[in-house]
Amino acid sequence: MSSRTQSIEQRDSTRLSGKARGRAPFLFLAPAIIVVFAVLIFPIVFSLIVSTYDWPLSEGAGARSFVGFDNYINLTKDPEFWNSLKLQLGFIFIAIPIELVLGFAVALLLNREFFGARVVRSLLLLPVFFLPILSGMTWRFMLQPRYGPLNTLIVNLGGPEVSWLGNPITAYIAIIIQDVWRMWPFMFMLLYAGLTAIPQELMEAAQIDGAGFWRKLRSLTIPLLSPTILTAVLLRIIDALRVFSEVYVMTEGGPGSATMLFSLYTQRQAFGYQKVGMASAMAIFLLILSIVFALTLVRKNMSLDVLEEKAGA
Amino acid sequence: MKKALIVLALAIACASMVSAQTINVLFWDDAYPRALMEKIPEFEKATGIKVNFEILQPPQVFTKTSVSVSKDHTDYDLVCVDEGNIPLFAPLMLPYDQWGPGKVFKKIDPNTVTPAMLDVAQWDGKLIGLPINGNLYVWMTRKDLIENKTYQAQFKAKYGYDLGVPQTLQQLLDEGTFFYEKGIVSGGFGPFNGGPAGVFGEAIYMWNSFGTDFINWVNGKPTLVIDKAKGVQGMEFYKKLMKISPKGAETWAHVERQAAFCADPKGVFSMFIWPAQIASYEDPDKSLVANKIVYSAPPAGPAGRFAIRGTWAVNIPLASKNKDAAAEFVYWWASKDIAAWLVEQNTVPARTDVLTDPRYAKSKPWLAAIADSMQYAAARPRFNEVAQVQDIVKKYWIMGITGQMSCDDAMQKIMDETNNVLKNAKY
Repeated sequence: MSSRTQSIEQRDSTRLSGKARGRAPFLFLAPAIIVVFAVLIFPIVFSLIVSTYDWPLSEGAGARSFVGFDNYINLTKDPEFWNSLKLQLGFIFIAIPIELVLGFAVALLLNREFFGARVVRSLLLLPVFFLPILSGMTWRFMLQPRYGPLNTLIVNLGGPEVSWLGNPITAYIAIIIQDVWRMWPFMFMLLYAGLTAIPQELMEAAQIDGAGFWRKLRSLTIPLLSPTILTAVLLRIIDALRVFSEVYVMTEGGPGSATMLFSLYTQRQAFGYQKVGMASAMAIFLLILSIVFALTLVRKNMSLDVLEEKAGA
Repeated sequence: MKKALIVLALAIACASMVSAQTINVLFWDDAYPRALMEKIPEFEKATGIKVNFEILQPPQVFTKTSVSVSKDHTDYDLVCVDEGNIPLFAPLMLPYDQWGPGKVFKKIDPNTVTPAMLDVAQWDGKLIGLPINGNLYVWMTRKDLIENKTYQAQFKAKYGYDLGVPQTLQQLLDEGTFFYEKGIVSGGFGPFNGGPAGVFGEAIYMWNSFGTDFINWVNGKPTLVIDKAKGVQGMEFYKKLMKISPKGAETWAHVERQAAFCADPKGVFSMFIWPAQIASYEDPDKSLVANKIVYSAPPAGPAGRFAIRGTWAVNIPLASKNKDAAAEFVYWWASKDIAAWLVEQNTVPARTDVLTDPRYAKSKPWLAAIADSMQYAAARPRFNEVAQVQDIVKKYWIMGITGQMSCDDAMQKIMDETNNVLKNAKY
């Protein structure tokens, strides 16, 4: 027997048996799976469990009682729940399209080189780095009727003092404007990155074929940018569903409950009314809503990829 | 090795003894606890007890107490509970008669606390903790305006009576309108429309002033007892006051009220204040109206005079492992010496002897007004679901007083939704 054959036999004898070999990948993956479960899955499962309890916050775990789906049923009967959901969805469907259009327009505008372009592009990103709570506070003071700069300007131009945050409609508009101001550069950032990735040859070819700006935009830029747009919208929707601190410091949900977004009402349920079970049920509802949005947009994104591949073929 | 282990065990034992002398304290944030902070090193020196002092805005105090204190566990040895939440936390707190005697400072006789404030910490026939500040509605009126001879003459010519500190709500409306319409002030009245608890206080003040309670305990359960017609009258009157309030007053909380009263060159004519905030209003560095304010009991409505109470009680959680040290801290804080020092800092403790001390009569004019207000002290309803009811009242009260909804409809909504909350709570 050659030395090579001997060494192969030796190596085989130290190898794991077939059964053990089957388990090996799971053993190696186990730490990662445990960490993922503990960090990612367990809080959601725990929240789901809590949502089936009547759990008064101040009385601790000892006072909880199992109520099954009662919290979910009670939520559907709560007009404030529906009001907060309506306000939240309105917030998303008004703020995000504005941010998208603004971000896209500015990305198109700045997708060329000129003196100071890099500085301008960097400066535009500043609001994104602003802490949400500071943004809310700043806007609250800017909109203050007596000494806020916006009203000072209006009054100096001969207009009336406006109580922006005192009126339900203007307060709702104000929280949307605040969000648009803070987050449109995020859209700009992603879309600008997407634009720079579009091959210039395509644009040049279209131009040679006589396509104008709008034609190029409609037939090339937007279709090629669609996956980026969908990703940006998805990220913003997930973020906007969780908006809390900026609205809390601006209006605390008021006047009345005109700006009581879903997250603010969830907080009221947990820490104001001490109903941890109800708050958890709302959190689960929000999670499901996020998943629905995510799945819809991801599927749309995937179908775009398939179309792109077909077109490429 | 054996020696090393013994030394280690001794070190751990010593460390645990030291840590037993540390108390975690959670208080609300305003000038009163902040003034006290200056004195804490003296307490630490006198007792050897270290104080970890945490102060938060009132809503956060409530949240943190809810999360951190239970029957069998607490992160704090001493917490402050505001009047409205005493029922919620009472089962988790050590009744005052079970507090220790005090090693360095003598146990405080509850009778040193003004009777109107002592009531705050009573629940189920027990005294749950010790009321620590003398907080109830006190009225502020601009002295420089009511003492102006020209305004006095003009006002009398128009309304037929003397300009002065408003004694009734009607006088408040007349005088506020006079100054507002002439453009002398930015607001004839300063409403409170900020947090739910504050708006609830304003609503209860108006309802009581117009002759109706909101919720009373009847046969052992909180029951809606409001007389709708009187409730609507109270709301309608507040709506009139809103019309002479500065722009943006629909959302005013304490910060905005203070800015309008103290920092606006025109300012506000008259409004209530929690005494805990007087220090800021009387600070010449922060306030344009320091020493220009007359303090009084609130104006009376058709049904009488009422001063809404908003006092904090200090409580020791049942689960605290440092009950004696925590009690020692309260005895020090509520002692006459410290209370007197706190009065000198323009804050308001709850001790009768200090509040009525003639030494302060001239330099602290608000003390007499507080003592006067205490005769008319009125409580906001107290029950476990009060936070939900406060939100309902806030929502529809503001809609009513700002004209987004008729006061009649707003009142009906308040009644219907409050009844729902009480029904769902299965009283």
